[in-house]
Amino acid sequence: MHTMQPTLLVGPSDWDAARMPKDEFLARATALWRTARAASGAIVYGDRAHHAELAYLTNFTPKLEAALALIPRVGSPRLFVGGGANMIQAAKPLTFIESVQPLRDIGATVAQWAREQSGGGRPVLIAGAFMPPALHREIAEAAGAIADKTTDLATLMRRKSARELAAIREACAALDAAIAAMNEAQRARAGATAIVLAGERAAYRAGAQDVRTLFSLDGGRTLRPFETSVDGSADPLQVYVAVRRCGYWAEGFAVISASPNPYADGAAEVLEYAIEMIAPGRRCGDVRRSIIDAIQPFHPHAVTKQAQGNAIGLALEEPPLLTIYSAETFEIDGVYTLRVGISDEHNHAIVSAVLAVNAYGCEVLWSTPVSDGK
Amino acid sequence: MTHVERLAAIRAAMSEQQLDMLVAVHDGSHFIETPNPVFVLSRFKSLGPAAVLLPRDGEPVLIATPAWDVERAQESGLRVIGADDVVDGTIAALDGASGAIGVAGLPFTRLEIGNRVKQALPQASAADEIVFDAAAAKTEDEIANAREATRIAELGYARMLEIARPGMSEDELAVELKCHARSLGAEDNFLLLCAGPRNPAVAPSNGRIMQAGDTLVAEITPSYRGQLAQICRTVTLGPAGDDLKRKYELLVRAMNAGIAAAMPGAPMSAVCRAVNAVLEAQGYGEYCHPPHIRRRGHGLGFGSIRPGDVSLDNDTVLQAGMVFMIHPNQHLPDTGYLLCGEPVLLTAQGAQPLTQRQSALAEIAI
Repeated sequence: MHTMQPTLLVGPSDWDAARMPKDEFLARATALWRTARAASGAIVYGDRAHHAELAYLTNFTPKLEAALALIPRVGSPRLFVGGGANMIQAAKPLTFIESVQPLRDIGATVAQWAREQSGGGRPVLIAGAFMPPALHREIAEAAGAIADKTTDLATLMRRKSARELAAIREACAALDAAIAAMNEAQRARAGATAIVLAGERAAYRAGAQDVRTLFSLDGGRTLRPFETSVDGSADPLQVYVAVRRCGYWAEGFAVISASPNPYADGAAEVLEYAIEMIAPGRRCGDVRRSIIDAIQPFHPHAVTKQAQGNAIGLALEEPPLLTIYSAETFEIDGVYTLRVGISDEHNHAIVSAVLAVNAYGCEVLWSTPVSDGK
Repeated sequence: MTHVERLAAIRAAMSEQQLDMLVAVHDGSHFIETPNPVFVLSRFKSLGPAAVLLPRDGEPVLIATPAWDVERAQESGLRVIGADDVVDGTIAALDGASGAIGVAGLPFTRLEIGNRVKQALPQASAADEIVFDAAAAKTEDEIANAREATRIAELGYARMLEIARPGMSEDELAVELKCHARSLGAEDNFLLLCAGPRNPAVAPSNGRIMQAGDTLVAEITPSYRGQLAQICRTVTLGPAGDDLKRKYELLVRAMNAGIAAAMPGAPMSAVCRAVNAVLEAQGYGEYCHPPHIRRRGHGLGFGSIRPGDVSLDNDTVLQAGMVFMIHPNQHLPDTGYLLCGEPVLLTAQGAQPLTQRQSALAEIAI
């Protein structure tokens, strides 16, 4: 899902060794070397908007300026953060990497680092597509032609470890707190954006690192980000909430209403049916087709028209997308968000679930609460 | 100046440079330090990558992603095409348009989008100056929004004085201030906030627990309808020492010297020089340059960040209607980094701070 990208990330992002020990990060790098056999190391980019790969390998979330990690196959990784030497003190608690330096003259640093790596291989690039052109040019000039292995790393990132799953469960708990607070604010007859902000605040109080919201002012037909306060009431209020906790995202749709909502309930029934279909090896496109059949006579909501969901984790949207053309399959240890959105001329509702696929099917980590008006 | 007049100025510049079409692109990653030509042309803050096609003689078209956000985009008043891929949508909307094309935004757009635009429009020339020159002075609406953003910033500061306490983490305080700003109508808040006995700089918050005796520094920068305004403030958790008070008064004097020097027709570098002169007179000359400090203020986006940095190498000539920060934020050897700064509107009479209360060192009783 697209949400409004904030200009600065402010939530708690410090590395917590008890939750995610250094060994787990080192094991991830080792898995990357198995995929990129000739690689002497990896040059990994991340910024405020796109940093799932960087966080996967370093735990570092760039709150302000971009960062670059140099991770050798043999030896200690180094992290370079934007903003100058004065930013180092603030950046260090966010990663297990001991060598944190300013991101400047990076071309010369990368060139020397690439020369120093043993084994005669070349480094690979991760998340190069998200770099600003000038930085990419500097690195390409320094390291020569380097293979981009972002897709290979994304494949490794699909299977969540027990610790990753625990983090997603915590994100789901914070998501639950947000939706509960929104329902409470709706019952107290708060205005539309006051309801949304009550949810955001509740998620932060539950330990969220980041919260993104969308909501509807037209009965669920369209969604919009918070742009400024809207005092008028909105019941039913279709909302979307994404909550990040310990680096990992959970997301959910809900219809916030003081009374039962038959359209949300209808969509929830289809969601329940779709969840039963999900198992390892099931094609993503098949699930999508089944949902479209099941929601008739409604048609897919504009928001769910392109995709019925996606994998979720360190990024809000990880591959694969659950599109009608997707030949990819659900995988054991994958975590997915699955959405059902329905629309007709007058009525609209979107509900969703966060699912962890296991050998027997899937576990529902979160799903839209029943709209009982309580 | 109105938005319509700004578009007319951009079209006039297109005529001068013999451009038939201007293509503005943005990757949807909004940041205080990077300009957004799509926002300048459309006043639309996109969820995803977006583009605007501005023909020299015709109506502009906004390409918005994701496609489902098209109706919100239409509130901009432009004709809108919803697309799931901004480059594909832009090329389709251009429909093989002939004539000279200028592109704005490429240096600030992520590589994947920039490369595809370049491949699709190999003959296009850079047109960033055309867009951003016309947005150096703010429109009447942007100035009104900057005033509201400043009001929210000052209320945010008041909230910070109410709740900041030893035992609270920097992150907790930052999150609380973010939520507070949104409750007042700000859609975003660039909030740098940190505390310590002697801060090396202002930086993003982290999990550090604030202690009695800390100096807390905060750049509170709400955005109201896409227009940022910032206040820079310094607070002590507990009583401030006399030396800190004296040093802070010095910064306030330096800031006021900068404000006095900001006049239409003056170069921006003169503002920086005026700020530095006050500090140099007190023996802090070496701290007026990198690595200690590189600028004494900056423009305020999200659209245009003109007139740019308040720095010695910025010779932009100031003009009425510009909105920018003057902040002699300074690392001093005895006190660490201190924040002191106001957003100003340049009028025919000079720089007018948008704040109701000017920066002063605050002490939180504990």
